[in-house]
Formats: sequence, structure tokens, C-alpha cells
Amino acid sequence: MSLVVDLFMVLLILTSAVWTVLARDRRDAVIAFIVLGLQLSLVWMRLMAVDVALTEAAVGGGATGLVLLRACARLQPVEAEGRLPGLRAQIAAGLLCAGVGVALAAVILAPAAPAPSLAPAVAAHMDEVGLKNPVTVVLLAYRALDTLLEKVVLVLGLIGVWALAPDLFWGGRPASLRAASPSGTLTFLARVLPPVGVLIGVYLVWNGADHPGGTFQGGTVLAAMWLLVMMAGLGELPETRALRLRRLVAVGPALFIAVGLAGFWMADGFLSYPPEYAKPIIVAVEVALALSIAVILGLMVAGPAAKEPER
Amino acid sequence: MAEFLFAAAAIVLVLTGLALVRMLWGPSPADRMMAAQLLGTGGGAIAILVAIASGMTAVLDIALTLALLAAFAAVALTLGEPGSKRRGGGE
Repeated sequence: MSLVVDLFMVLLILTSAVWTVLARDRRDAVIAFIVLGLQLSLVWMRLMAVDVALTEAAVGGGATGLVLLRACARLQPVEAEGRLPGLRAQIAAGLLCAGVGVALAAVILAPAAPAPSLAPAVAAHMDEVGLKNPVTVVLLAYRALDTLLEKVVLVLGLIGVWALAPDLFWGGRPASLRAASPSGTLTFLARVLPPVGVLIGVYLVWNGADHPGGTFQGGTVLAAMWLLVMMAGLGELPETRALRLRRLVAVGPALFIAVGLAGFWMADGFLSYPPEYAKPIIVAVEVALALSIAVILGLMVAGPAAKEPER
Repeated sequence: MAEFLFAAAAIVLVLTGLALVRMLWGPSPADRMMAAQLLGTGGGAIAILVAIASGMTAVLDIALTLALLAAFAAVALTLGEPGSKRRGGGE
């Protein structure tokens, strides 16, 4: 019985994946990609990887779709005059992607036996950190350096997006996110959903210490609610030069680095926590990171400044 | 009871799977987006059924996230409506 269900899920995913590649219209491809993200989150749920399923639902189902749809909207005028790449380039790109796919499949289907795993070591030392969610323990205690770099990369990405603004507009507001034809339904949704969504976002961040959830999932949900308000025209995007905004962007990584440096005299070295304070420190870092992630993701979707800064 | 809930989840999965026909057929992007919407709703239902059947309450959070963000993705579709003058730049 469960094998039949699993095979059906595989069939659904293959259909969406193939359609994502084959769809002629770019927007159809993006929608198929969103569907694929939602299906993948069900698969992760089936595999009992609740943290991954949450991330996939938040990032794959919601945030990525918005980013890609916005990119489509921006590309439309360019696309009209441009031409498709030649047949040879298309075949080359297809072969390259297929090669990468086959190589990945080969690595995953033929693992070393027994597969190398640090899971028992993590499980044995969980108590020392004081958190109950093993994923958060790995992300913020054992592999904190990777997580720190990942957040710094987000800031760099935002700087990259902002750098696309012409000199004249530097520090101004990004292009309006408002829908082309604001409808009553959208305004209604933007009034009803954010209170619930912000609550769920905060809950996911807070919950991340002991149960599946965490900064990225919570931050993504918060960013989505912020963007929803902008899209319905109920709120204005802030100017990118606003100091308060920039502080919010930097607060997460800055606090993380400060905590890391404090580890030199409070514990054994960079990014190590004194055992008795490990949990409060990690939760504080998580809260600051979630704020930064929410603001950074929102600003990335909004794009570079497109208006002159007001005097 | 758990068996029954798992079976119900499987049936919901099959029914939402049929939404894929709409995604492939179209014809308009809004029609295709409806498939994603149905999958968001159905995915939430599956998550709730599985959460209760398996006793893993954390799975309920997936249902919350799916329900919240599937609606959000539909709004995103309004961004790129063909014929909109605001596309990508300025007021």
C-alpha cells in the first residue's frame, strides 16, 4: 500500500519536473516549479525530515515562486525583442544539466557502506547545548561557522542586488510592488493574513530551539507577510538608504559575529559558547538572525532602488 | 484509527494529484496557479492527517506553513500580469 503511494508521489514529482523544463511560457515553468516545491515538501514529510519539509514549504512553495515570478515580469519587455539561444546552445545546456543530474544520482544511489554519519556523536552531546532540536544544535552550535557565513552571504547578496541601481537612484525606494490592478480581494487578504502569518513566523523561530522550525523558515514567513502588505499597496517600501532598515539588515550577522568573538574569553574560542549560557545565547542569535533574514529577503524581492531619494 | 487516517491522507494525495491535469492543460497561468493552490490546501490536509495518525505534532507546523504560503504564491501571480504598465519599474 505505502509503496503504491510512494510511486504515485514519484510520478507526480516527475511530471512537474519535466513540465518545468518543457513549458514554453516562462511563467508556466515557474508555476510548475512552485508545484514541484510543494510536492517536495510532502516528500520530506514522508521521509520524516520535518525541518527540511518546513524549509521547502516556506522557501520552495512561497519565497522562490515570488522571486521568480517577479523576475519573469521584469524580463517580459526584454524577451519580446530578444531571441532564444540557438539549438546548439540549448543542446549543450541540456547535456550539461543531465550530466550533473546523473553524477548526483550516482553519488546518492551508491553510498559508501556504512554511510559516514556524525548523527550518533551529535545525539550523545545534545544535553551540553541544552536544546532539543538536533538540527538547530548542528546549525548553531557544531557548524555555527557555516551558518554564520551563510547569513553573511545573504547580506552580500543584498548588496549585489542594490548595486544594480543607477547612481541617480542610489538610496531611493525600489520599484513599487503594488499589483497592476489592486482588487478588493487582495486588500482583504493583506489585512487578514499578516496578523496570523506574523504570529506563525514568530512561533516558528521560537519553536526552533526545541522542535522543528527555526530562523530561516520563520524569517521567510515574516518576509512574505511584509511583502504581501506592500503588494496590496497598504504599505510603502522603505528607502534603501534608511538607517533603521540597514541596521535591521546587519543586526543578525553582527550579533552572531560578536557572540563568536566573545567566545574567545568566555569559552574555548571563536563561536564556542559557555555551556551554562548556551541556550539563551543561541535563542538571542536566532531572534536577531530571523529579523535580518526577513528584512533581507523582503528587500531582495523588492529589488534595487528605482526612484530618486527624496530630499 | 491510524490506518484509517493514513488511508485518508493517501486519498487526498490522489485527488490533489489530479490537479496536475489543470497545471498541464492550462490554458491561462491563473488556471495553472489554481493547481498550486489546490496542492497547498491538499498538502495541508495531508500534513494534518499524517500528524494525527503518527502523533508527530511538529508535522502540524508544515500544514500551517503550507496554508499560509500557498495563498501568498497566488498573490505573486498578479505581479507579472501581461498588459500591466507598471511592470518592473516606477509608478
